[in-house]
Amino acid sequence: MLSFRILDLVIALLYLSGAVSFLLGIIYSRNKIQNISACLTIAGFGLHTVDLALKYSLGLGEVLTQSQFYISLLAWTFLLIFILLWWRLKLKFLSLIAAPLALVIFTCSLAISPATLPIPGLLQGLWFGLHIGSLFVSIALLAMAFGAGLAYLHLDNKIKTKSRMGNVTRDLPSLNTFDRVNHWAVMVGFPLFTLGTLSGFIWAAFTWKTIFSWDPKEVFTIAIWFFFAWLFHKRATGGWKGRKPAKLAILIFILSLISFVGINFFTETHHSLRPDGT
Amino acid sequence: MEHKIHLFGLSHKTAEVEIREKFALTGFNPIDAGLVTKQGPVCEALILSTCNRVEVLCVGIPEDEQVRNRVLETWAGFCGAQADLLARHIYHYTDRDAVRHLFSVAASLDSMVLGEPQILGQLKDAYRKAVDEHSTGVIINRMLHKSFSSAKRTRSETAVSSSAVSISYAAVELAKKIFGELDNHRAMLIGAGEMAELAALHLLNQGLKEIMVANRTLERARELADRFQGKAMCLEDIFNYLPQADIIISSTGSSSAIIRARDLREVLRKRKHSPMFFIDIAVPRDIDPDVNQLDNIYLYDIDDLQEVVEENLAGRKEEARKAEGIIEQEVAKFEKWLNSLDLSPTIVDLLNKGETIARKEVKKSLRNLPADLDDKTRQTMEHLAESLVGKLYHDPIAFLKRRSREEGSSEKYIDLARKVFNLDEEQIPDNPHADKKGK
Repeated sequence: MLSFRILDLVIALLYLSGAVSFLLGIIYSRNKIQNISACLTIAGFGLHTVDLALKYSLGLGEVLTQSQFYISLLAWTFLLIFILLWWRLKLKFLSLIAAPLALVIFTCSLAISPATLPIPGLLQGLWFGLHIGSLFVSIALLAMAFGAGLAYLHLDNKIKTKSRMGNVTRDLPSLNTFDRVNHWAVMVGFPLFTLGTLSGFIWAAFTWKTIFSWDPKEVFTIAIWFFFAWLFHKRATGGWKGRKPAKLAILIFILSLISFVGINFFTETHHSLRPDGT
Repeated sequence: MEHKIHLFGLSHKTAEVEIREKFALTGFNPIDAGLVTKQGPVCEALILSTCNRVEVLCVGIPEDEQVRNRVLETWAGFCGAQADLLARHIYHYTDRDAVRHLFSVAASLDSMVLGEPQILGQLKDAYRKAVDEHSTGVIINRMLHKSFSSAKRTRSETAVSSSAVSISYAAVELAKKIFGELDNHRAMLIGAGEMAELAALHLLNQGLKEIMVANRTLERARELADRFQGKAMCLEDIFNYLPQADIIISSTGSSSAIIRARDLREVLRKRKHSPMFFIDIAVPRDIDPDVNQLDNIYLYDIDDLQEVVEENLAGRKEEARKAEGIIEQEVAKFEKWLNSLDLSPTIVDLLNKGETIARKEVKKSLRNLPADLDDKTRQTMEHLAESLVGKLYHDPIAFLKRRSREEGSSEKYIDLARKVFNLDEEQIPDNPHADKKGK
């Protein structure tokens, strides 16, 4: 277990140095520092993958009832999506949001004491995996849309008001690029979000023999789903580009965070990640 | 050191355009004109003559007056004018100041438009010409190479050349900030004036997909559209084509606005709210400022662009201060090299290097031998290494000493020796001549 502690610490350090060096690279607009930062983050991601795989293979089943594992997995998904976007859209810039988020979430997973989750009955493998996997990916996509949305609003405001662009703003990619991130995040994220929610209900039906139990998490998620559906509809039918979808994506991501942190840790729910396991 | 670097010059800061024209040195050959001679006060020279500056960089004897007279004489003689008139306008820098000035010129810190990129190319051409005419030597060669590399450094480490400082380029830069690459976008010119044409040319250089031209008279629109291989249309038809246009440059002589916010709602719906960038260079304005309030529409008029340009220029001035710091470092490095061109420091460096190598190798060999080696063997090995190095360096040192006695000027050989033995510990890139081969 000690070796896992050390591995976790190394991963956290790599994420920390990746996040800090990227920020420095942006501020001083040095490409070399930005590349080093990307390497650090990717190295962290690689170790993180190994870490998760080891934990899973060593304690198969058991690890799935530990809150730590899920939070760590969420951090990992964020980076996975960032690396995919970086590779496909050449958007190194999103490292600014991905690396710190991964760092914070991953550190959270280290900070909370390992708790056993009250996951009842049989883990209906497929539905449960689908539930976690697709929701995590869609939340990671939302995080990218959140970062891109903030950058979009900032740049749009600068251009609209004709105010002076500093060096950092000057190095930003174009508005079009940020809008494309939003587009992909919504087009891929919403179906996944729907899939994740539905599979959750199906899993609930198997496990608790009831589809909807007025759990706070379920209610909140459905509210988020409606916002997301609206955004998806507006984008898909061609009505929306630019500011509005950027703002809405930011809102949806913040709601998801509230749902993740506020509800999972502080309320009575069967999604509880609270250390004491109640 | 018996040689001194001199730099004489006229620039937009010290002389009117008439004077600069009168004393231009285009086609001046320092050897044919008698500026550089074997015995004379000047032994290396390089001429830079552009419309904003005329500079004569030379290496000569330490007596300022003699060098100055020779330069003024040949310079005024070449231009067929009075040396007195020239003397009133030139500046004269020596040694460190001359190096600093050259480096600043190369980095475009002394240019009329701060940070403009042409000057470095002009300096490179001037240097190539001087090399062809065999008027340069060790000092100017190294000085120019270092001026190129320090200019490159200022460019990559500061933002002194990064932002647009002309109106049409500022517009292109903004368009790129909105759309990213422009090769999938269409532009529409409304009004076929000269300004519009210029802006269109800049945009076309960025690889626009198509340019549409709308004008009050269709004939003139056709004329211009043919030149850009675009589409021509009447002014009345623009609303049919606006949904396809991403960048709109307007410059009609109309007295009232021809495009208003309420006209654009329909256009935006048709183009599924893809962004549009309006550039209004007409006075009075063609496009109602209200359109800037619409989402995904950006409107800049000529004053806005002018302001962007001025802000960018102010930004460059700030960056120039950083660049000056870099230049100062590079000047110090150059000066260090210049001082090492004396014979004795080179010999010292050479012997030091030999000693370092000998010590390192002995240490390495001793590690491979048993630890209980007796002192005598150890001493013999040390002695062997040191005398080997000493013998190896004996001939080059004797050669350098002989040359400096015989010819009076030994810089060429000292420089060569420093390079051959890499005494300045320079990092040499894998392919230092890669950029030359391309040409």
